Amino acid sequence: MIRAFLAGARIQLQFLRAYPDALIPFFTAPMFSVIFLMIFRHAGRTDLTAYAAIAPVFIALWWLALFNSGWTITIERWNGTLEMLVAAPSSFAAVILGRITATTMVGIVSFGETWLVARLLFGTRITIYHTWGFLATALVTLAAMAGTAVAMSSLFVLARNAVTFSNSASYPFYVLGGILVPVSVLPHWIRPVSSVVFLSWSADLLRAALRPGPMHHFAFRLGMVALLGACGLVVGVWTMRVILVRVRGSGELGTT
Amino acid sequence: MVVVQGVEVQDIRRVFTPRKREPVVALDDVSLSIPTGEVHGLLGPNGAGKTTLVKILSTVLLPSAGRAFVCGHDVVVETKAVRPLIGIVFGGERGLYTRLSARQNLEYWGALYQLNGGEIKKRTELLLERVGLTDRAGQRVEEFSRGMKQRLHLARGLMGDARVLFLDEPTTGMDPLAAREFRQLIGELKGEGRTILLTTHDMVEAETVCDRVTLIDHGRLLATETPRTLGSLISRFQRIDVEDAPDELLAELEHIAGVSSVSMQADGSARIEVTEEGATSIVLRRLVDSGVTSVKTSLPSLEEVYVQMIGERGLVV
Repeated sequence: MIRAFLAGARIQLQFLRAYPDALIPFFTAPMFSVIFLMIFRHAGRTDLTAYAAIAPVFIALWWLALFNSGWTITIERWNGTLEMLVAAPSSFAAVILGRITATTMVGIVSFGETWLVARLLFGTRITIYHTWGFLATALVTLAAMAGTAVAMSSLFVLARNAVTFSNSASYPFYVLGGILVPVSVLPHWIRPVSSVVFLSWSADLLRAALRPGPMHHFAFRLGMVALLGACGLVVGVWTMRVILVRVRGSGELGTT
Repeated sequence: MVVVQGVEVQDIRRVFTPRKREPVVALDDVSLSIPTGEVHGLLGPNGAGKTTLVKILSTVLLPSAGRAFVCGHDVVVETKAVRPLIGIVFGGERGLYTRLSARQNLEYWGALYQLNGGEIKKRTELLLERVGLTDRAGQRVEEFSRGMKQRLHLARGLMGDARVLFLDEPTTGMDPLAAREFRQLIGELKGEGRTILLTTHDMVEAETVCDRVTLIDHGRLLATETPRTLGSLISRFQRIDVEDAPDELLAELEHIAGVSSVSMQADGSARIEVTEEGATSIVLRRLVDSGVTSVKTSLPSLEEVYVQMIGERGLVV
């Protein structure tokens, strides 16, 4: 299992060098940062700087995780390697998890990019007031992203063109995760849905780490990120198993 | 004592049900035994069911009915036992990561076949050397020729030290020299005691490397024999080509029992098709008695068996 995970992570890093277009969020994240900072500055809401600092990073990371989960399946299909991958002795889900985890880990770079733009273009200094809280949340968030993306990739096995699907599937998470617009301003009926999206918990925590006040209920909130991410992974592994049996039955595994 | 076969297929049936279309029977009650260490050819035209059978045996497709075993393990319920034992090699451009190097491809598959770091390095270099790609190991696969890609395919299929190899049209698109080298490699693998199921629509390939050949068409197995025995099956279908035979004589020959047809060829010669044993000698005697001595009889080749049993469409691939 671990060997398969590491094999997936290693080949993903090789792929990212071979297909640099998969790292497009590294170009878009600073752009988003500029847009958000300009809007908040124009509106006189400098208190929302933390949102402008965190939102582009989340958009980049989640896009990377989700897009790559779809892209991985699609590329394997086009390559004619998806069937061989499934027929290999290693766990398919572990390989996919390794690949997505490697991608999201690389995505950490977008933190630095975004904050550099804020500093250089707007003179805004992003200060981390709770360093350990921030690091722990970032780490657990990356793991939760990878776990949840596995659940999505299992669905992409069913889709003929997973890339298109994975592209559009990212937007609902941005809204439900309260990445830019706080969950508190969303309609009441949507908030319960938002609370089971790990992004909403981790975005709140990371923003809290950028404010001087205390991080209330830190352990509980971090635990929720971990729990929801783990649930995503468990559901993903189970769904993957079910879907692989299904496509083995229907004969659609290698269908492009 | 029960002898465990390399591959055992028992009454396998596979029906595909495309949306809004009639179900398609890809395999129809197929049974086949391949002893350990045998190179077995599966010969048939496109759409005959060859790849479907390989997919079932390699655990990526479920049969609609019947059972199949690899080294005694059920391919449906014992996938964990089957997968480390098999290697799959597809022909053509697909099946490799073309933007990665040959070495990176092999190392990745080595890890997926659960080898440790040292074994991966050792086996990668060994196989690169074996398939003659050591000098190009660091080069992107997209820069490789078809023959080189195919050799890399084979090396990839061997990374897990497979006991049973499924080679699905492995020489498709190769030039004759590359195909010949590839067949030599197959011979070496047989020498190591591996069981090989080779699907092909190339008669020469089947005849050259296979211990036994199974003819398949429309999802049904037509015959399983050695290439030589399959050839003898149609000895009664012998052909006699004659030059300068008078029309009256040819018309007379057409009425001899066992002669199925007499036809004129583009080069002006006549071809007499014989469908019964013994008829050939009668025809030859009559030709010689009439003073026609420019006569050629053809020994049956696997290609002729193929055409006779599957029909002319078998050559359209």
